[in-house]
Amino acid sequence: MAIRLDYVVKETGSNLVRNITLTLASVLTVAIALAFVGVSHLIGVGIEGSFGGLQSDVRMFVYMNPTASAEQIESVRKALEESPQVDSIVFLDQTETYKEFKRLFKDQPDFVESINPEELPQSFRIKPKSTDTEVVSAVGKEFEDLPGVYKVEYASKLASDIKRSLDTLNGWITKFGFALIAVSVMLIFNTIRTAVFARRREIEVMRLVGASNWFIRLPFIVEGMVQGLIGAIIAAGLTWSFDVLWHRNFVNQRGLDLLNNITWETGNLIFAVVMVLTVGAVAGAIGSGVAVGRYLRA
Amino acid sequence: MIKLEGVSKIYKGEHMALRDATVEIEKGEFVFLVGSSGSGKSTFLRLLNRSETPEKGVIHVAGKDIGSLPSYRVPYLRRNIGTIFQDFKLLPNKTVYENVAFALEAIGRPKSAIREAVPQILDLVGLSKKEGSYPNELSGGEQQRVSIARAFINRPLILLADEPTGNLDPATSVGIMKLLDRINRTGTTVVMATHDRGIVDTMRRRVIELDRGRIVRDQARGVYE
Repeated sequence: MAIRLDYVVKETGSNLVRNITLTLASVLTVAIALAFVGVSHLIGVGIEGSFGGLQSDVRMFVYMNPTASAEQIESVRKALEESPQVDSIVFLDQTETYKEFKRLFKDQPDFVESINPEELPQSFRIKPKSTDTEVVSAVGKEFEDLPGVYKVEYASKLASDIKRSLDTLNGWITKFGFALIAVSVMLIFNTIRTAVFARRREIEVMRLVGASNWFIRLPFIVEGMVQGLIGAIIAAGLTWSFDVLWHRNFVNQRGLDLLNNITWETGNLIFAVVMVLTVGAVAGAIGSGVAVGRYLRA
Repeated sequence: MIKLEGVSKIYKGEHMALRDATVEIEKGEFVFLVGSSGSGKSTFLRLLNRSETPEKGVIHVAGKDIGSLPSYRVPYLRRNIGTIFQDFKLLPNKTVYENVAFALEAIGRPKSAIREAVPQILDLVGLSKKEGSYPNELSGGEQQRVSIARAFINRPLILLADEPTGNLDPATSVGIMKLLDRINRTGTTVVMATHDRGIVDTMRRRVIELDRGRIVRDQARGVYE
């Protein structure tokens, strides 16, 4: 038998109001947790971008002459692969180099226009076994004079150290975000359990007169989802505001270079908002679903 | 209508609430369950709408083996079984009308059907004038009438009554029994657990006596003792 929509709306609404303090606690916890997740996602994307996709363990670049022949490139690759000091290498051909070039200089389209992909040097990115700067530059020397090599460059130690620290920090932030989401789910679980308890007499009567299990459960599950979703909508709003404020205050502004370079695309923002809304609704459904399954056993 | 074959119910390793009960109740019968407290009367009733499941034996209600009913079908069984209690189990924050309507809302009946059925049943139990009152504004007898209206509004095949007059004075009890008798005359099977000697001896209906979970007497047109 179909469950009437107006019944579910009415019951959910009155439950939400009846339990207003707990409902607010759940909603605000979800909002804070998800705003944290959304904002840290954007910052993470921004940091990744500002370091030009630099892997924290890539420390050496070997640039080839634009005119280098395929044989020359092949022999440099072979020398790199055979070197005992090299852990791994990645080769960037002209297409990939151009892609990266366009990304790095996207603020200067005229400059990008003026460059022909053919003129860009192909390069190897090398992860050495040692992290010691002196050892790495000694390794680099071996390759400088090979035919076709334009120049060997080293990642600045500071940049890669910062990047490595930020990666670690990012890992912590992600774990903290998961912990906050877990707390939200538990709070929603508790709120719904309380709601079930508050309505135990009605539930007993419903059982008695033959209300179906889903008829009894659905308003509670919807209540949990609504709590998750309202929290998520607030979080999405906060994430959005953060995006606006960040761009207004830091991006392409005078001030600390490090912050000015941290930016992201509208697509990243949309992804963050959609993610926040989805996680909110799912967290609400899980919290209330578990509560209902446990306290409304048929 | 109701058939128990070798039914035993044991509560968590404690005593046996019901021992090897075998009994058959025909459609339209009015049956009293008598016996001292703890003799198994309430368990007997709770087994019939599957509020409990037996450890042994088979229970048929309305031609169905209710033990083999999957749990999602149990609500549909209960729509055919009305239940009333000593403590009425009315919802204090709902009016008389809302309490009765709730039974139909809970099984998803459309509003128009509810608006038609509730005044009819309130008229039947004699509470038309009290439909806007809350339970705490009613006498015990009136509250029991509301609970009967709620139990009977679906026109169930069976009405289970667990000491319905237990909280009422004798004069009020007579009124409730008249109402149950009227419901029984519409063809509804009534099974009523009671301690009320006067009622059983006056009505002279079938009496099933339980003693420590065992059926010790099954008498047509019986008396309390």
